[in-house]
Amino acid sequence: MTTAEALNPAPSAGAANFLGKEAAYWRLRIKGAALLMVTLGLYRFWFATDVRRFLWSNTEIGGETLEYTGLATELLGGFLLAIAILVPLYTAIAGTALALAFDKAEEATAAISFAVLVLLGQFALYRARRYRLTRTVFRGVRFDQHGAAWPYALYALLWWSIAVITLGLAYPWAQASLQRFKMRHTCYGDLLGSFEGSGSALFLRGLPIWLLVVGPIVFAFFALGAMIDWDALSRVTADGENGPLDLLAGNIGFHRIFYIGAVALGTSIIAAVLLYPLFQAVTWRWWISGLRFGDVSVNSRISIAQVYRIYLRFILYIVPFMLLVMIVGGVCVFAGSAMIGSNHGSALVQLVSSAVTLGLYVVIALGASTIYQVVVTFAMWRLAVQSAELSGATALAAVRASGLPSSALGEGLADALGVGGI
Amino acid sequence: MTIALPPETAKTVPDTASLAAPEIVRGAAVYFDGTCSARNDVAVEAGAAGLRITAHRVLDEWSYAELRRMSSPEGVLRLGRSGETLLARLEIRDTVLAGTIEERAETLDRGGAAERRLRRKVVALSLAAGASLILTAIFGVPVLASRIIPFVPLAAERKLGDAIDKQIRSALDTQHLGPAFACGAGTGEAPGRAALDTLVRKLETGAALPFRLNVEVVRRSEPNAVALPGGHVYVDEGLIATAQTPDELAGVLAHEIGHVAYRDGTRTVLQTAGLSFLFGMMLGDFIGGGAVVIAARTVLKSSYSRRVESAADAYSVGLMEDIGGDPRALGNILARIVADKAGDDKDRRMKILLDHPETRDRIAAIDALAASRPTMPLLNAADWSALKQICSAPPAKGATTAPGDGR
Repeated sequence: MTTAEALNPAPSAGAANFLGKEAAYWRLRIKGAALLMVTLGLYRFWFATDVRRFLWSNTEIGGETLEYTGLATELLGGFLLAIAILVPLYTAIAGTALALAFDKAEEATAAISFAVLVLLGQFALYRARRYRLTRTVFRGVRFDQHGAAWPYALYALLWWSIAVITLGLAYPWAQASLQRFKMRHTCYGDLLGSFEGSGSALFLRGLPIWLLVVGPIVFAFFALGAMIDWDALSRVTADGENGPLDLLAGNIGFHRIFYIGAVALGTSIIAAVLLYPLFQAVTWRWWISGLRFGDVSVNSRISIAQVYRIYLRFILYIVPFMLLVMIVGGVCVFAGSAMIGSNHGSALVQLVSSAVTLGLYVVIALGASTIYQVVVTFAMWRLAVQSAELSGATALAAVRASGLPSSALGEGLADALGVGGI
Repeated sequence: MTIALPPETAKTVPDTASLAAPEIVRGAAVYFDGTCSARNDVAVEAGAAGLRITAHRVLDEWSYAELRRMSSPEGVLRLGRSGETLLARLEIRDTVLAGTIEERAETLDRGGAAERRLRRKVVALSLAAGASLILTAIFGVPVLASRIIPFVPLAAERKLGDAIDKQIRSALDTQHLGPAFACGAGTGEAPGRAALDTLVRKLETGAALPFRLNVEVVRRSEPNAVALPGGHVYVDEGLIATAQTPDELAGVLAHEIGHVAYRDGTRTVLQTAGLSFLFGMMLGDFIGGGAVVIAARTVLKSSYSRRVESAADAYSVGLMEDIGGDPRALGNILARIVADKAGDDKDRRMKILLDHPETRDRIAAIDALAASRPTMPLLNAADWSALKQICSAPPAKGATTAPGDGR
């Protein structure tokens, strides 16, 4: 029995680990990107399935790994079903727009269509989550998500509207509320999920970031507002003569508006770039630490420095890649135009150079996305898993199975709507 | 994720083909029964027909035919059973046992050959689907658009035309002339307008359109004309200047009337929608795919427009013949427009026509269609010289007469 125990080590209760090698993930991603290019994107269902299999089966919790049981053909089927639903819908929207447009109702039609599509997008995300959970098996028992998707979609639309109106200040409560909704409807066998993260906690941690990123713009608006002679402005607007802009300019001075705006926007953009990893670290730690399944709770020890290291590594990869592609591309264009020569007429040269430009663009876009997926997304997943610690994990060994696999419609809709399913 | 057999253990694995009763191979594994998440450390016996899973007593027996390989980390063979709603799992780290099972159960696709074959098939089918999509875009979309056009009510086309008209007008009116942008209303321009109306009426009578044409000459120096859905035609001042005979102008007008009669504005809208659907929805939802889609659409759109232009040329020839004008005049003015861009150099003129095979081919097609017979000019000399003066009044600045109307 000693050899058997060495081969099949007993689980160490609450530890989480990630077993996958980055080199293997690089191979998977590069091969997938090449096939995506060749098949004009139709390979994405198989690619996504391979990626999930890799990530799931290398994620180890308490000595046992997850398993992804979804099939690429299911995703393809879901996508085709989504097309079958969306085509009549798009036709109806276009038809209504054509009938109503050019009347006064133009803006209303656009707003309603937008709301319908956002709603459908949230619906799709909820259903896609259900598909993924029911295809996730752990210790021979699957995860599940119940509850109708429409209430979630309405709820999400409402919360996101509030978050946008409050310039992101309500984002923590929106996240907390939506996570609570999702986790309340999530289960692992007969173990019910819940979410304990509080919006106020995330708000307090995120407030400094908000103040540095959104603050300058808000401040600039108030500063400009204080300088404007509002009475004069309303008189001018009522008269309808000249532009109110002319008066604004006369009042404050164009260069001053420009100066304040540029400083505010510049500060905001620099702060956003510098603080994005911090934001990621804060939200990930908050989210993972809030997850509960019955009495099992998770604690995340993601450190801010680790996340910054991931993004710095991304810069170290992406800059040389871009330089390399530009040099190779430049040599190709130069050699190509030298070979064709000038005597073949301008049309051919133009055709060749636009084909090369297009090819370069696709290579850059796919290459950059591959680098991002490996160096950032994969690394964040690995970090999130390795820094997580479960308490009360012994309960995971006595879960009764329940639930059945769901359809892939949500995945297909999310894909067709471009809301980032696959 | 095949578990390769170490060479020294390979010989202990029996060859199933040559032996009637293969040797039983035993090893340790982890078993989950699918009803509960409890982990069972078990012993597995790989026999002739299947696996026996025991821990003090027999827990389960699986035949080789129902075994399926499930995704697992490297170094682990994870097995499940096909057609099961219960997710019972067997996880084997013992390389000898795993190798034996992979050898005996054909469904496990040892080495992944079947999976690779499937992937190659997927790639081949995707290529075929891509090719079929492109062929549909080239041939199917224009046919479909032609079939749908009769069902689009004329009123909808009118509305579409009115909406486009506002945008086109402000886009064309780069100098913000406002109402003065159109020629024919200024001092001394009225006879020109009357002559234009005479010419348009002749063409309109021949064309028998379901609605009235609205032809306007506008103060733009380009030798160009544009027709909108619903019968609005803009003729640039530059075209009047370039035309040497009334029939040349009439030929261009007849070409534009062709666009109106064939409802090409609506056709463009339908074709664009079709392309967006084919390439936007079905394909290209990968990063970088957007550029491919835009390039494909640009190429296809120009192929559509070439077909639309030659149809309008043919219409022009027919209409000009019907009303007794010179059908070849359109070709003459096309050649002059292209040549004028090259300046006065004779040699360059020839060369520029060679460099624009589209225009050269169009002129050849027009000449081939047109019957050669003597014709009378469509306007008399007095009317023609009046028409040449339709934009003679200096444009009054629109912004001073009617604020805001120019935008």
